[in-house]
Parts: sequence; structure tokens; C-alpha cells
Amino acid sequence: MEVTIFIHAADDAFRILENAKERAVGLLDTATTLTSEARWMEEKRVQSILKGAQEARSGFQNFVATFVILMAFWALLSEKFDAFHLSLGVICSLIVAYISHDLLFANVRVGDGRIIAQRFLHYIPWLLREIVTANFHVAYLALSPRMPIDPQVMTFKTKLESDISWVTLANSITLTPGTITMDIEEREFVVHALDSKVAADLDTGEMEDRVAHIFMEADHIYIQDVLDVSRIFTELKRGR
Amino acid sequence: MIVKSDDIIIKTIARIFVPFIQLYALYVIMHGHYSPGGGFQGGVILGASLALLLITHGYDEMRKRIPEGVIILFGSVGVLIYAGIGLTCLLLGGNYLDYSQLSVILHVDPAHARSLGILGVELGVGFTVMAVMYSIFFDISTGGILPDDEKKSSEWGDNG
Repeated sequence: MEVTIFIHAADDAFRILENAKERAVGLLDTATTLTSEARWMEEKRVQSILKGAQEARSGFQNFVATFVILMAFWALLSEKFDAFHLSLGVICSLIVAYISHDLLFANVRVGDGRIIAQRFLHYIPWLLREIVTANFHVAYLALSPRMPIDPQVMTFKTKLESDISWVTLANSITLTPGTITMDIEEREFVVHALDSKVAADLDTGEMEDRVAHIFMEADHIYIQDVLDVSRIFTELKRGR
Repeated sequence: MIVKSDDIIIKTIARIFVPFIQLYALYVIMHGHYSPGGGFQGGVILGASLALLLITHGYDEMRKRIPEGVIILFGSVGVLIYAGIGLTCLLLGGNYLDYSQLSVILHVDPAHARSLGILGVELGVGFTVMAVMYSIFFDISTGGILPDDEKKSSEWGDNG
């Protein structure tokens, strides 16, 4: 009698294990299909970097891109859409694009523009959330009767590579309440922090990782792995 | 002497914003007869964008980008456009800068001719103001002595 119960229990346990295994395999399959597309793109990019096939954008491409952006800016300013004013806009945009086509898109590589724009748009909500949370912390520091501030200047070496990513990181730091970028010298950021908590937050380097991810610099492929893993985790949670 | 800015943030932001400032200046010039603004204001904004580039990118690069001859040319052409339109009106039998007389040349009604005439004049004013603003800023920031001249005078041992 007891033996049959035991056998039944073992059988049940085995079946449960089998089910769990099947479900895990299914989830892993979903995860692979999720990441495979992104991974394929990244691999192709890395290959072209290694071969040196990816070159800086030509002057003409920059000229056209600058012209399109300036024309949109003109339409926004002018608000007059008759033929005369639009042709004035085309002429003015052509002149400005000709004078300064090398200013707006200095050192952007071929094919990167769309990815950078996409990732930058995804970065903005994250930055806004950081700003709001840091805001509450600074408000607490200011309103607390003890005023537990601990002003300090911290320096860290950045792994970012281009001027535009340095500026994005520096301005993100300055926009976040409690921290201000004082200087960038020789890839070293000098940051003033209001207390040790905001300094520690900055020291985790998450912001730098995200900026590296936008501009596809440093170890951004590794960062892509981390982001993929977070997607797999959400998928796993949903499956449960 | 102009010292090239070392600040990477200022340099990059200036690089990105200068095309938009220049387009805004042209917008102010072109829409001077509809909205506040006009030749002088637009010219000053255009000159300011060049001054910003001069501060951030330094003397050598600006000289490569816009040679001084071009600046002088723009200053003169602007005055020429202004005076030319004025004198054309005078030759057509009206007063100086009486744009309605231009309707004979442009084959449009006098009201439209006034609109086009003032646009041309503002364009001329804008060119001249831009060139002169940039020129004044350039001269003040170099102290009237260009780096090339300094090099020459030090080579020749001339302190004058």
C-alpha cells in the first residue's frame, strides 16, 4: 500500500519535472528567436569593422542629411507653405548645408544614423526616470533638518570614444539633480556630487553603459547581452 | 589672440547648433516683412554664429572655412545690392528706394514689387551686417595682429 503511494508520488514528480523541462525549452526557444535578429545585425557590423569596410560618411551624404533636417526646421519656423516661401527655404537650407555640412554629422559612420536615433529615443525615458528619482533624493536632502549633504568631487576615466558621446554623458550627468560635470580632460570626467549616494549611483556606471550602447562604442555588444537577458527575464515572468 | 577652446562640451554643442543658428538667421532675414526681424537682426545672428565657431574652433580652422577675402566680398556685395536696388528705382523715375517702380522690370503689380524689393534690400543689409560683425569681432579678438604677422615679425626680429 505504502509502496504504491510512493510509486505514484515518484511518477507525479517525474511528470512535473518533464513538464518543467518542456516549458523551459520552449522559453529558451522564444529567447533565441528574440535575440537572434539583433545578434545577426551586431555580428555583421563587427565583421565590417574588422574588415575596415565601414567608412566615415561621405561629404555628400552629410550634405543631404543636413539639408533634410534643416528643411524640416525651416518648415517648423516658417509655417508658410506657399511655393515662394518653400523655395526660399530650399535655397537657404542648401546654402547652410553647403557651408556647414561637416559640422552637424562629424564622425558618424555609414549606416549608424538610424540605430543611434532609435537608441537615443529609447534612452530619453530612462534618463527622465533617473532625473525624477534623483530629484526626490535632492529634495529630501534640502528639506531634511539635519541637511545630510556631503559635497565631493569625484573623477572617473571614461571608456567612451567620441566627442558626441562624451557630451551626451556629461549633459546627462548635469541634468540629473545632485551631480554636475565640471570638466572633461583627457577622457577623465570631473564630477561634483552632492552626497555619497548620488556619487555611488554614478559610480555604478549604468549611465555610461547606456550612452556607450547608444553610440555603439566600447563594450556595447556586451551591454546588448545584458539588455537581451533582461528581455528574456520578462518573457520568463510572463510565462509563469 | 584667439585661444582655441579646450572644452569638449562647448565645442561639440557649438558644432551641432551652428547650422540651426545660421538657418534661423536666414529665416529672420527672409521673413523680415511678415514678422519681427529683418536684415540687421538676421545679419547679427549670422555673424554671431561665425563668432561662435571662431571661439570654439580657433583661428586656423575658421580661416580655412571662410577666408578673409570672402568676408570683405560679402560686406561690399551687400552694400552693392542695397545701393543697386535704390539706384534702379531712381533710374526708373521714382524716388531712391521707391520699390513700386520695380514693377516695370519684375512684371508684377506695384504692391508685390514693394514686397520683393524690400526682401532684396534686407538680403543686402544682412550680408553686410554679417560680414562687418564678424570682421569687427575678428579684429578685436586678434588685437589687430594676425598670428601670421606675429610669426613674420618675430622671424625678422622686428618689434614694431
